[in-house]
Order: sequence, then C-alpha cells, then structure tokens
Amino acid sequence: MNLSKKDEDSGDLGVFYHLDKTTVLQEARVFNESPIVPRKCRLLLTKIIYLLYLGEPMATTEATELFFSVTKLFQSKDTALRQMVYLVIKELSTVAEDVIMVTSSLMKDMQPKSEVIYRANAIRALCKIIDASMLPSVERFLKAAIVDKTPSISSSAMVSSYHLFPAGKDVIKRWANEVNEAINSKPSSIVGTASSYLTSFSSSGSSYNSQPSSTSNINQYHALGLIYMIRQHDRMAVTKLIQQLAGSSRGTFGSSSGILRNSFAYCLLIRYAAKILDEDPNSRQQMYDLLEVWLRHKSDIVNFEAAKAICNIKDVTSKELYPAVNVLQLFLSSPKSTLRFAAIRTLNKLAMTQPTAVQSCNLDMENLITDQNRSVATFAITTLLKTGNEASVDRLMKQITGFMSEISDEFKVIVVDAIRSLCLKFPSKQVVMLSFLSGVLRDEGGYEFKRAVVEAIFDLVKFIPESKEAALAHLCEFIEDCEFTKLSVRVLHLLGVEGPKTPTPTKYIRYIYNRVILENSIVRAAAVSALAKFGVSAEDPEVKKSIKVLLTRCLDDNDDEVRDRAILYLKLIDDNESAEKYVKDDSTYSLAALERQLVQYVSNPESSEKPFDLSDIPKITKAQAEAENLKPRSFDLASTQTIGTSSSAVGSINSNIVSTSRDATPTPGVDQQQVYSQQLEQIPEIAAFGPLFKSSIKPVELTESETEYVVSCVKHMFKENMVFQFIVTNTLNDQLLENVTVVMQPESDEGTLVEEFVIPATKLPYDQPSSIYVAFKRTNPEEYTLGSFSNTLKFLVKDCDPSTGEADEGEGYEDEYLVEDIEIVTSDYVFPTYISDFSSAWDSVGEEGQVVETFALTASKSLKDSCTTLIELLGMSPVENSGTPTSSSVHTLMLSGTFLGGIKVLAKNRMTFAPSTGVTMELSVRSPSEEISRIVIGAVV
Amino acid sequence: MASILKSFLEWLRSLFFKTELELTLVGLQNSGKTTLVNVIASGQFSEDMIPTVGFNMRKVTKGSVTMKLWDIGGQPRFRSMWERYCRGVNAIVFVVDSADHEKLDAARQELRNLLDKPQLASIPVLVLGNKNDLEDALPVDKLIEEMNLKSINNREVSCYSISAKNQVNIDITLQWLIKKGKGSK
Repeated sequence: MNLSKKDEDSGDLGVFYHLDKTTVLQEARVFNESPIVPRKCRLLLTKIIYLLYLGEPMATTEATELFFSVTKLFQSKDTALRQMVYLVIKELSTVAEDVIMVTSSLMKDMQPKSEVIYRANAIRALCKIIDASMLPSVERFLKAAIVDKTPSISSSAMVSSYHLFPAGKDVIKRWANEVNEAINSKPSSIVGTASSYLTSFSSSGSSYNSQPSSTSNINQYHALGLIYMIRQHDRMAVTKLIQQLAGSSRGTFGSSSGILRNSFAYCLLIRYAAKILDEDPNSRQQMYDLLEVWLRHKSDIVNFEAAKAICNIKDVTSKELYPAVNVLQLFLSSPKSTLRFAAIRTLNKLAMTQPTAVQSCNLDMENLITDQNRSVATFAITTLLKTGNEASVDRLMKQITGFMSEISDEFKVIVVDAIRSLCLKFPSKQVVMLSFLSGVLRDEGGYEFKRAVVEAIFDLVKFIPESKEAALAHLCEFIEDCEFTKLSVRVLHLLGVEGPKTPTPTKYIRYIYNRVILENSIVRAAAVSALAKFGVSAEDPEVKKSIKVLLTRCLDDNDDEVRDRAILYLKLIDDNESAEKYVKDDSTYSLAALERQLVQYVSNPESSEKPFDLSDIPKITKAQAEAENLKPRSFDLASTQTIGTSSSAVGSINSNIVSTSRDATPTPGVDQQQVYSQQLEQIPEIAAFGPLFKSSIKPVELTESETEYVVSCVKHMFKENMVFQFIVTNTLNDQLLENVTVVMQPESDEGTLVEEFVIPATKLPYDQPSSIYVAFKRTNPEEYTLGSFSNTLKFLVKDCDPSTGEADEGEGYEDEYLVEDIEIVTSDYVFPTYISDFSSAWDSVGEEGQVVETFALTASKSLKDSCTTLIELLGMSPVENSGTPTSSSVHTLMLSGTFLGGIKVLAKNRMTFAPSTGVTMELSVRSPSEEISRIVIGAVV
Repeated sequence: MASILKSFLEWLRSLFFKTELELTLVGLQNSGKTTLVNVIASGQFSEDMIPTVGFNMRKVTKGSVTMKLWDIGGQPRFRSMWERYCRGVNAIVFVVDSADHEKLDAARQELRNLLDKPQLASIPVLVLGNKNDLEDALPVDKLIEEMNLKSINNREVSCYSISAKNQVNIDITLQWLIKKGKGSK
C-alpha cells in the first residue's frame, strides 16, 4: 500500500508499475488507429522497451505483430515519437521476423536532407536490421555518413560499421580511407542539434538530448576502434597507425594540435600498443617509449591506462616499471576514490609477480588501510601482505581482523588468498595465520568464502608440517557445524588421508564418527570412507578393533551408499592385500587420456561390442595429478597473460569441434596437441601410426602472408613415422585449385626417411584453408634424423567466377609453387613435460646417462635471451619457475621433457652473464640412455 | 468580391469537410509504384529509381484531402506482407506494368491471393495499368480481360490505364481515390 502510494507520487514511474505484457500488446492497437496521437504512442513504446529491458520474453509472432504495428508510426512526423520508433525497432530486430520491411523508410531518414537527429538514429537502426547481402546497397550512404561533419552522425555510422564488420568484412574494409579521414578531422564548429554519444561500442542505447555540438570528440574513439577492426590482422599497419597518431602528439601535450583529442581514443591506442608490444618483441622498445610518454599525458585516464599497460608487460624489468609505479603511487593519494581504487588494484596485481617493485608504495598503501572505501582498503592490505616483510605481518594481520566483518565475501576471498600465499612465504608465521583463518572460519560467510578458507588451511597442512596438527584440529571443529556438504566431504577426506599419519589418530576418529551419526547421507558416506582409512592404516590392533565396531554400526544405516561402503571396508580391513590395492593405492588414471579414450569408445559403434579396456590408459600417481593441477594454478599466479591464451585456446578447440574443419586455427596452447590428435585420428592411414607423440606447437610459415597461396606447416611425430601437415590457403578469388599435393625433397638423402604416402587436397577454393598430409617412415627407429626438406606445391589451376566460385569450363593447367624449406630439429623429438620436484627427479635418473658440456655464447645479450633460446632449442619445459631469470648475472635453468618413445630427459643449465663475455653456460643433460642425452645436447651445438 | 467570398467559403468548407484518406499501393516489382507516389506528391518524374526495400510512407495533401500513401515493395519477399498494410485502408491500389506481358500472369495471381484475404473483404480496388506511354502497352479493356477483373464481384473494382511519366490519367485516378475518402465518411 505504502509502496504504491509512493509510486503515484513520483509520477511517471507509476505508469511502469505492474506492467503486463498482454495488456501492453493489446494497447499496441492504437498504433493502427488514425489519426495517430504521438504522446500516447510514445508512452506505449516506452512501456514496450521497459518490458524488454526487464527481460520479458517475447514470442516471434508477438514480436512480428508488434513490429508491423510500430512501422505504421512512420506516418507521424513527431520527432520524439520517431526516436522511440527507432529504439523499438532496434530492440525487436532480433526477435521479430521480416524486420527488413523498414529498410526503405530508414534509408529515407538517413538521407542528408533529413534532420540530424533522424539521421544518426536511423543509421543505428538500419544497421541492426540489414545483413551482409544488403550492405553494398547502403555502402554509399554509410561512407558519406562516416565523414559527415556532425559528430553524432559520423559516430553512429562508425559504431554501426563496427558491429556489422564480422558479417561484411570485405565491404567495410573498403571504407578505411573514410574512417581515417574521420580520425583526422578537425573539431567541427557547427552548432547543430548534435547529441553527444558517450556510449561504448557494446551499448546500443542512444541519447537524444539536444545540445550544442559535442566537444568530446568521441567519434575519434569510435573511428579508432573501427580502423583497428579493419587492420587488426596486419601488424605493420597497426604499428604505423599507432606511430602516426602518437607521433604527432609527442611534445605537444597541453595544446590541441595533436590529432587525437579524446582520452578514450588514447586509451584504446594504448591497448593496441600494448598488444603489439606483447606480440612482437622487436617493437618492444619503441612501444614502451610511447607508453612512457603517455604516462605524462594531461588526462588521468590516459596516464592510468599507460601505467596499467606497462605493469602488464610480460617479463617487465624493474627499470621499465619504475615510472609506471610512480604514476600509480601519485594516484594512491588522489582525492578521487576511483583513481585510488584503479591504482591500488593494478598495484595489487603487480605485487603478485613483482613485489619488490611495489615496495616503494608501502607508505602510501599503509595510509589507505583506513580508507573509507572498503574495497580500496582491502586491496591495500592484501598488497601490503605481498610486499611487506616478516616483521610487518603481525601488525597487518591485526588490522585485517578489525575490518573482516565489514567487507563483502568477494573481498574476503581476496584477503584469504593473500594470506594463503603469505603463509607459504613466511612459514614461521603460521601460528598467527592459522588462528586468523580459524577465526574467520567461524564467521558468517557464503560457500565461496568458506571454500577459500578451507583450501588455505589444506595448503598449510600440505606444505607446512609444523602446522598440521593444529590445522587438522581446526578443521575438525569446523565440520562439527558446517552447512556446506561439499566442504564437509573434502575435510573428511583430508582427515582420512592425514589423520592416520599423526601421532594420535584416535582423537580424529571421534569427530569423524560424530558425522556418521549427525549428518546427511553424502557426508555419512564420506565419513565411513575416512574411518576405513584409519582402520587400514592403524598399527594398533585396538584402534583397528574399534573402527570395526564403528563400521559394523554403520551397517544399520538407512542409506544404501553408506551401508555399501561400510560392508566393503569391513571386508578390506582384514584382507591386507586388497586393502593395499583399494585403499592405500595412490595411483589414478590420467583423466585427460581417459576422457579421450572414452569419447572414442562411445563414438565408435564397432567398439561397443567388447568392453572398454582400461589397461591402455596411462596410470599416474596422485602426486603427478596434483602437479598437473598445480601447473595452471602457478601459471595463473605467474602471469595473467596465460589466462588469456588458455581461454582462447579453449575457444579455438570449441570452434574446431563445431566446424569439424580439418584445419586448426594456429593458436598455441597446451590443448592444441589434442586438437591435432583428434584431426589426425579421422584419417585412417595416419591413425594406423598409433598415438601422436608430439605436434609442433606453432605452424611454421612457409610463405609471406600476402602471397597468392599462403602455406604453413605443422610437424606431427609418431613412434616410427613423421607426418607433415601443410595448411594451404588460396588467396586468389578467381582461381580454383584442384588435386593439390606437396613434393618434399630431403636435402641430404641418407635414406633414413622414406616417404610413405601423400594425402592431397582435392579442391582448394578461395579463402578456405585445406590440409595436405605427407607421411614419412623412419626406417631405423634408433636413428633420429635431422635435416631439412625443400617443398614444392603442385596443383591444377582452373579459372573460376569470383562471385560464385564455380569453375569455368575447360581443362585448367598444371602449375608449381615453391615454398620455403622445413627443418626437422631435435626439439621435434622432445615433448615438454612438467614435473613438480626437479631435484628428486634429477637424482633418480642418476649420472649414468649424463652428458655435460660447456658453451660460451658471446652473442647473447642477456640471461633471459639465452633461456628463451635454450627452451626453444631443446623443446623442453622449464620447471620450478626457472624459465625467467631473477638475477641478471647468475641463473640455473631446469628443464624437463620426454624423448620420443617415452624416455625421460632432464636438463640443468648453470649460466653466468657478464657484459664483456656474454653468456657462459654449463649444460648437463640426464636421461636413462647416454645416447639420447647426447642427441639432446647436440641441439645446442 | 464574389471570388473572395467564394474562396472564403471554400476554406470554411475545407475546415468542416476535411477528409483523410489512407491508401496502399501494391503490385509486382518494377511496376512503378514509388514513381507514381512521387508524381502524385510532387509532380516530378524520375527515371532513376531503386527498388523499394520494405515500404515508403508518404503524406500528400491535395486541397482539403490528406492522403496517406503506403507504398510497399513488390519483390517476392515482401508480397506476404502486403496484407498487413492493406487492412482497414480506404482503397487498395494495384499497379501493373501494362507493357510487361510476361508478368501479367504473376500479377493476376498476386491480386487474386491478396483479395482472397478475409481481412480485406469489401475494400475497393483500383487497378492501374501503368506505363501506357510505351509502345506495346495493353489498352485498358485488354488489361481488364487479362487481369480477369470481371470475375471480382464482392467489391468495387475499377481499372485505368495511366502513365506516371507523361502524367496521363493521373487526375481521374486522384478523383476516383478522393471519392473513396468522401464516400466512406
């Protein structure tokens, strides 16, 4: 009652209170009436949009009906009504059918003679309803609109083109000149009814408040976004664009003579520059210099963007970081809380990898702990935890405890994570941390938060032995009153694993048995399993006996699972041999391999006749599985860049599976191998070679990217065979290639590699990459041939109609095309594998197969360079974060890999650097066979 | 004096007897609908036209009559949508290219389909044989025969042979249309 009254008072909102779709659709009939009452229709359209924004689902027929009623409103000349019509059309364009109906009407509205306010909005609406096939017919108008003097029109045309780009690449690419002109246009002096668009690309809303010509120059931002979209695959062009836009403004900050006048445009430019810097090591210095200049731009947002970009540079040096951190430090004491937040957030991220660089801000961050904004304070404190030394930990912990109750769960998780890493850094502080963690565990909190705390305690148990008993005690206490079944189960499992190893296992048994009495069936089952572990592992026959008594009681449980487990374990306790096998066994199947095999099994109807064979699947120990799990996690911490690439790799896999195309997009990534392996299994001849050992991660480009035929090659290594996959793209739209093969000629014919077969590409139409496979057999499996091949493409050319791709009548003619050589190198025979504990693995392989050599690399400029080269040459994976040297003079690089045939190879490389002599290194390679070690070390010579 | 009085009376009459007229123009593509609308609205003929994608809406005032003209695209993809714009109008104008003999069959079929719609029952239809300036244009009686207009007996049907280019018979077309507006009021 109270609420509705308030609504009536507040006027307009009352209309939208309790809106009902059916009523609104009924009311929509007024659109068909004559004459039209603009005010009434406008209100109704607003209601429709309001409903759509609330997420009200609309059926296609309803939407289509509504859409056609709305088109009747084009007869009214009322400006405000027309604008609402545009908005509704945009909203309905995705649901209703035949929206193309309004094309002519919108095109009339975007003509130069029409009102400005109509034009901009009509362009936006038009681009929502047309598809790629219509694009050529509106091309002329859009091109003209892009260079229009009114910023709102120019902006709307560019934003619309940006959205249309994926559908109409070829057409929109032709507009680059116009877009360039829009970037370079002088600020307009026209005072019209232009509206200012502060909308981003993703937003479709448009404002229509009339105001004098906008001074924001936001159209430069839009233009830059579009031109980048057009040029993004041409790195040279993007570099040129950045230089051109940045170069002209250098040294003229503060004046308006630079080309770019919009801060957002600068931010965008910075992002592009950062991307170039990331992808192309050669332009690093040049791009860094630009970023550094932007740190002194007059706008805060540009300064921040540049600082953030510098902080995100991979392997950034502390010297490069210094100016960026300085800028962020200034922001820390800014009166604007957004600036403080942005700065502290960036510093917090930076502190994960480069705590020393952030240390200089410690004083400012301490002041922020008492910041009114709790988010800022949380980031400040967690950053301090990372940069601080052991002495300051106690004080910080006290302060955190003070405000834990005031922050949201999300931030609590951040704090807990920070403390977790701190524990591992300063094990001596574990008592303080543990008491803090157990304290927050007792507090109120959601699942995510509790999970973070429990996992932190798990880590303590795992890595800090002194804390184990206290930590387990806290966990026992936690499950006494835990509302999350999942967490209870995990804790019970851990108790089962760790409990029996403690001096007094009996004290945990009571806690666990309590769960059997008090909890739901899932927890009870977990508790039974945990109890059984005590029973099996216990030395003391008394303990074993009591466990048996307890398990016997569980036989009366009313849940099947609990009873079944109890019966199983009762049997196992007395039978030592099966207990070894089922309870204590630490090995597990390699889940990724298991999944692949199962998918194959299910998808192949023939195989279903016999049972699935588990013995093919490699077994790994729990420790190995954990190492695998730990790997992505430690990568996450090491650099955020990996997150980006791994997600894009996942994306590419999905797209590959969906399109079932035989060619993978060349995305480097761990999972790429799996994609290749799936593709190769589709080809019976290649599937006969057995499991794939290794695929070269990145396709080798054998041509320039602008030639008639673009060729790249991926090497696939099998136990006794080698397959070269040539990915060929025909870039000539008036040619159709048929029967494309590759002739590979080894440079030195020793006869150790014999060509087995070639799978040609039967047809190669324009712009559709296709693969050719050439398979070789290694005649002597003991010999690992190295060398290079010259490659010639042979094919039949037929002319074709560029628009349809249909080949013309006629025979066509034979042609050849020579591409660059491809090389087989040692790293093709080595698969990078990750191990968690290098030194023990090193010792276990032993010295028998060791080969040691010393090298002097006078040309190498830094340890970092040599590390990168060495990793590439050997094809092995750096372990224990030794891939990036921490010191500039001395470093030990540790590498691990598997040689063809599953032979473990380890390498340890001690290196020193002096500016005068370059890098001197001592490389030791260990493997079970000295011969293999020699081959591996041969890669460096 | 008399003339002033007369024009005053005229104005007065227009105040009271202002008629509004809603018309829909349909017909196969390239029959000259948009051209005809332009000629009616501004008296200007243009050779160079692009196909109408969807519809155009024009409001034309002739004396005391305001005409709302819905000019709908004639390409096959739009034909299913003609009906939506014909509902409740004062008259349907079906334009035929009288010089394009090959398309007459299709035109007859489309007209029949449209008039079979129950929603459009008893709305008067005016069939216009456009482009009579061309040499092999059909005369009006031949067109009536070809379009089988005699068989339509549930509504008023008229047929004129016109030329939007030379503005032939545009005046009688307008008279016919305006009569529909007055008749319905």
